[in-house]
Amino acid sequence: MSISVEIPTLLRPLTGGLKRLDADGATVYEVLQQLEQRYPGLQDRLLKDGAVRRFMNLYVNDEDIRFAQELATPVSAGDCLTILPAVAGGAAGEGAR
Amino acid sequence: MTARLLEGCVLCAPATAAPGLAEAHQSLRYQAWALGIGWQEAATDPDYVLRLPQGGQVQCELTLWPDHKAPGSEFTLQAATGLMSIHGRARHPAQALGLPYLSCLTAALALQGLLAAALDQLRGGQPGRVSLSMAAAAMLAVGQYLAGATAPEAPEQLLPGACPTALQPPFCSADGIWFELETLEAGPWRAFWQALGVTAADAGKGWNGFLQRYAKAIAPLPAALPAALAQRTFDEIVTLAAESGLAVCRLRSLEDRARDADARALWQQGPWHFTFAAPTQAPVARSGGLEVGRISRLPLAGLQLVESCRRIQGPLAGHLLACLGAEVTRIEPPGGDPLRAMPPLSGEVSARFDALNRLKRVTEIDIRTAEGRQQVYQLTRLADVFLHNWAPGKAEALRLDAATLRADHPALIYAYAGGWGPQHGPDLPGTDFMAQAWSGVAEAIGRAAGVAGGSLFTVLDVLGGVVAAQGVVAALLQRQLAGAGGQVETSLLGAASLLCADSLSRLLTGMPAVTPAANALQAVFSTRQGRLAIDCPDRPHLLRALQLPADTTPTQLADHLLGQSAEVWQAQLQAAGIAASRVVEDLCDLPHDPRLHACLTLAAYVEANSPWRFQ
Repeated sequence: MSISVEIPTLLRPLTGGLKRLDADGATVYEVLQQLEQRYPGLQDRLLKDGAVRRFMNLYVNDEDIRFAQELATPVSAGDCLTILPAVAGGAAGEGAR
Repeated sequence: MTARLLEGCVLCAPATAAPGLAEAHQSLRYQAWALGIGWQEAATDPDYVLRLPQGGQVQCELTLWPDHKAPGSEFTLQAATGLMSIHGRARHPAQALGLPYLSCLTAALALQGLLAAALDQLRGGQPGRVSLSMAAAAMLAVGQYLAGATAPEAPEQLLPGACPTALQPPFCSADGIWFELETLEAGPWRAFWQALGVTAADAGKGWNGFLQRYAKAIAPLPAALPAALAQRTFDEIVTLAAESGLAVCRLRSLEDRARDADARALWQQGPWHFTFAAPTQAPVARSGGLEVGRISRLPLAGLQLVESCRRIQGPLAGHLLACLGAEVTRIEPPGGDPLRAMPPLSGEVSARFDALNRLKRVTEIDIRTAEGRQQVYQLTRLADVFLHNWAPGKAEALRLDAATLRADHPALIYAYAGGWGPQHGPDLPGTDFMAQAWSGVAEAIGRAAGVAGGSLFTVLDVLGGVVAAQGVVAALLQRQLAGAGGQVETSLLGAASLLCADSLSRLLTGMPAVTPAANALQAVFSTRQGRLAIDCPDRPHLLRALQLPADTTPTQLADHLLGQSAEVWQAQLQAAGIAASRVVEDLCDLPHDPRLHACLTLAAYVEANSPWRFQ
C-alpha cells in the first residue's frame, strides 16, 4: 500500500489532470522527490530553497507538516498527503497588506 | 504640503439628508471638510452638487437602493446585504457591526464619484452626474465573500454561527484583557504556542483556522489555545509573544485612541496624507490626461495606473479605479500572485482574487532585481498613478520610492495604501485585525453587541481600499487643477479614524455622546421563518403598522413577530415606510433580492458591479 497524494486543481495540468496520485517514500520529501521524477516541475511549485513555499500547505492526514517535522515528516503506507495552495488571504508575503 | 487639498471647491448638499442616509450625509460632510471642500446646504436640490473653483459642476444622486424606493437604514442594509451574516460567521447570531460602516463607505464612494466626474469635466468630458446607492457600496464590501460563496468549484457554505464564537479571536488573558495576535508566518505561531505548553498538533490546527480569517471571516481554533491563554496574565503573554516573534495588541477603546498624540491630527487631516509641491509651472499635460471628445463614458478613461499590491486593501483600490475607467496594470511576481490559487476557484483563478482583480492587465516582474526595477521604471514613466501596499521601508529598499519615481516624472501621482500612515503608528504589523484592535474599532464593535470586540470581516481593509482609491482621485483632480503631481498616503488606521470620526470628534472636543431617541427601536427579531432587522425612529409608528396597541411591551412585540415569516413582515413594514429587512444568512440569496438586482451580475460567480453609474 502506498501513500495517496491529493493534487489541487491548479497543479493538475502538471499531473495530466490527475486529482489523486500514489507514491512511495519514508518522508514527505521522499514522496515529493518521487513525484518530481514522474511529473517534472511539480516540486518547483511546492518548494523553494529546500522548504515548502509560503503559500503552499502540505498536510499528512490533516496535520500541517509545518507543525510536525516539515519535509522530514515521516509517512507510511496508507497515509494521505494533501497539497493545498493558499488556504486564505492571510498568508501574505513580506509584510504586504 | 497642502493641508487642505481641494480648497476652493464647494459641495452643495440637501439641507436635510434623505431618510436612512443621515449618517452618510454626516460622513460626507466630514470628508469634504477634511479635503478643504466648502459645504453649503440647499433647501431644494435633493442631489449633492460639487462646484469647481473655475466654474463647472457635477452632481451625485445618493440613494439607499438603486432603482428602488424601499425604505432602509444602515442597520437594515447591513441585514439585507449579507454584512451581518459575514460578521456573524464568527459572532453568532448574525448582528450589526454597531458602527456606521455602510454609511461611511457610501459617503467615501459618493465623494470619489464626484471627484472623478469633476476630473472628467476638466479633461474635456461632459457635465457629469453620478448615481450611487448604499446597497451598491455594500455589495462592493461583501464582493469577495459573495464570490467565494457562489464560485463554480466548491463554493464556500459559511452561515452565521459557522464556528463557535468562544473559539475565535479576539483572545482573553487570565487577568481579563482582550487582545489580538498577528503573524504572517507559521514559525512564530508554533514557537508561541509551544512556549504556552500547547501541543504541536493543536498549534497546527489553530494555524489552519487562523489563516482563514482574512478570506472567510472565521478562525476556528482548538479549545486548547484559548484555554492556554486563559491561564496566563496579559504581561506574561506579551513577553512570550515577543520572544516568539508574534505581535500582540490589546483591544483599545476609542477613548484610549483619542488620547494618542496623533489622534487629533489624523482626525483633522482625514484619512489621506497628501504631499504636493506648490505649483510653479503651467498645468501638466499628460499624454493620457487631456482627451477631448472621448467615447468612453467612464471618467478616468485614458488614465494609466500601475499597481503593485497584495491581498485586499491595495487591490481593491486598483479595482475601484478600474471601475472608474482607468487602465490598470498590475505587477505580480514571476509565476503570478500566489493568491490566484486560493480556493474556491472560478475557472483557473481564485474567485475571491478575481473579484478584486478581474478588470486589470497583469505583467509579471521580479521587482527585487535590477532588471525588474528598470521594467517598473518603464511602466511608471508612462503612467499617471503608481500604487503600492508594501511593508514600510520596502519602497526605499527597492528604489521604487516616491522621490525616485517622481524625479524624472513629476506629473506622477505616487500612492501608498499602508497600515499606519506616515506618522508611523505602533510597532505592529499593519494588518486589518491589528488596526481594528489598536484604533478602537474592534472594541467599539464589541461594545455595541455586548461581546468581545472586533469583526473577522475585513472591516478596515475594505474601507482602506476605498479611501486609497478616493485619495488617488482627489490627487488626480488636484494635479489637473494645480498642474503638478504629488503623493498620497492612506492607511488602515486612517480608515478607522474615518469610520469613527463622529465618536472621535466628540471625545476630542469633550462633547457628550448622542443617546438614541427614547422612542427609537433598532433590533433584530426572530420570526416564524428567518430573522428580521427593524430600524424605526418612532416606536408608536411601528406598533400602528403592526396593528398592535400602544402599550405593547417589548416581549409582546417579539412574540407577535414570531407569528409570520421575516419576508412577510418585511413587505408589510416597508409598505408602511418602515426600514425592515430579513437578515440574509446565505449570501447566495442576495441575487434574488430585487432591491439588489442592479448591483450584481450573474457571471461564473456573482460579481458586484461598479458602485457608480455615470450619466
